Amino acid sequence: MSLPVEIENVSFAYGPQIVLQDMSFGVQRGQFLAVVGPNGAGKSTLLNLICGLLRPQKGQIRIDGADIHSYSVKALARKVAVVRQEFVPAFDFTVAEVVAMARTPYMSTFGFESESDREIIAQALEMTETSRFESRPIRQLSGGERQRVFIARALAQQSPILLLDEPTSFLDFKHQVGIYDLLKEVQSKTNKTIIAVTHDINLAIQYCDKALLISDKTGHLGDINEVFTREKIEDVFGVTTFEGMVESEKFFLPLGKFAKSNPQNGQARKNL
Amino acid sequence: MNSKTVTARSVATRAAAALVLLILILLFCTMTGSHPVSLKNALTGAGDTQGHNIDYEIIFGSRLPRVLLAAIVGAALACAGVTLQAILRNPLADPYILGISSGAGLGGALAIMLASFLGSWAGVSVSVFAFVGAFGTVWLVWFIGHFATGRSSATSLLLAGVVINAFFSALIMFLTQIAKSYQLREIWLWLMGSITEKSLVVIGASAAAILLGLVGLFSIAQRLNVLTLGRAEAQGLGVATARTNLIAFALSAFVTSIAVSLSGLIGFVGLIVPHGVRLIFGPDHRQLLPLSAISGAALLAVADTLARTVIAPAQLPVGIITAITGGPFFLILLARYNRKVSWVK
Repeated sequence: MSLPVEIENVSFAYGPQIVLQDMSFGVQRGQFLAVVGPNGAGKSTLLNLICGLLRPQKGQIRIDGADIHSYSVKALARKVAVVRQEFVPAFDFTVAEVVAMARTPYMSTFGFESESDREIIAQALEMTETSRFESRPIRQLSGGERQRVFIARALAQQSPILLLDEPTSFLDFKHQVGIYDLLKEVQSKTNKTIIAVTHDINLAIQYCDKALLISDKTGHLGDINEVFTREKIEDVFGVTTFEGMVESEKFFLPLGKFAKSNPQNGQARKNL
Repeated sequence: MNSKTVTARSVATRAAAALVLLILILLFCTMTGSHPVSLKNALTGAGDTQGHNIDYEIIFGSRLPRVLLAAIVGAALACAGVTLQAILRNPLADPYILGISSGAGLGGALAIMLASFLGSWAGVSVSVFAFVGAFGTVWLVWFIGHFATGRSSATSLLLAGVVINAFFSALIMFLTQIAKSYQLREIWLWLMGSITEKSLVVIGASAAAILLGLVGLFSIAQRLNVLTLGRAEAQGLGVATARTNLIAFALSAFVTSIAVSLSGLIGFVGLIVPHGVRLIFGPDHRQLLPLSAISGAALLAVADTLARTVIAPAQLPVGIITAITGGPFFLILLARYNRKVSWVK
């Protein structure tokens, strides 16, 4: 059986600036993959390639075994749903209306939501605990609430593949784990393949099955324990870290030059 | 859940109710005028000789065509406003924002000044020139917006529209400087937008073309909903953004060009109707478009009735009425709406 997402020798450049070069990896069905890497490494570019928004200059991207560009825009939206980082609403759509838009790729011309569409939308609102503010304009929500709404929309899209671009940036601790708990629940209940771009290595360690570390225009896919080592992180991100253990999982604490717990701190602070 | 989003049934019910209301309003407008008429008498028919039945002549020969003309122009402008606001993701957009007004104005002014050369064609030439000017200009803006900047963002389209508008406005100013005084008055009247009696054939053909365009817009209503979220989001939800933008742009340019060729540059309808309907009924285009079409039709029919009655027997350009009444009406809507939001909170 073919993999849900396969990247083969993919290269991509914005003009003369090469972002990804000869990248290859595959994601297993039902897997929760974290995509990590420094700012500007090409994480969001990769996400936009997998959802068909960008076209690779070289190589092939396969979704469920078929070339991504053999799908129509509509057919691809039934395979891949995306939750993006930034969102600026132009008009006052309510939560329910935004989630209902997920059914667009299943509608015909002059289309309205069918009874079964409404069922699916209600379930998505239920699962993300957003139904209690379903009639509020999306503009009035907090960052955490809004993120849940967009996950609800992605669920209502009923795609086997779910992509997320930094789903927990700007969120506090409670909302961060809230989002990851929800994604884990979605993964186990619906067997979706989830690919999340994230800066939060510790949350990725706690929740994800595999990690893809992007550096030097290519990606290194591996098990969590193998990708996240102190040496690799210091090498790729260029920052000293403290590595600890909670139960059986590692965690990393970045330590800057003047950080209180930095071993060289005493010397550095004196020189201030 | 069910009451929170529109359904085919809720839209059909509201549109039907609005349509009934519109027909009553159009009937009222037809019966209103400087000369009292009897509908009952008019319905007895034209009579044997021309001018035999005055009521018939006034209602079917003069007022009804004019009311219908105002209605179709109003519907076209309102729907074009809705569509451009959606694809530009800008609630301040109106049907004229991408250069249609100056293109049509230039065409109309040229036709008026060349009337003596056009001879027997002078009667229809203003409409034809205005249509060509309007339709040609929007595509000029479209191509400049796409190819000069290399990408199809709303901002580059808007910038191209601003540049073309400024350039063509300068040309219109130049024309008014060299125009003779009787031509100048005609040009001003046309630029302000005025509805005049047209033959039933012209009205019928224009109505058919505009209705076709509106049905085309209704067919992409759900895609317009998704497009307001932005290009990347829309693509992720299965909407081919470039193609949908082009369809929406072409259809709104088409109906607006027909509208301005019939009536000149009537302002405000394409801005306040979409806003008003959106504030009251929400932003879902599957409901917003049909209700805006009906509201635009009613609004312009009433405005034109005012235009031909307030200083009867003289007539005002309807563009003055829409601008004078539209502005304050819009402010009231905004104030009401903002209060409502703060109550909910």
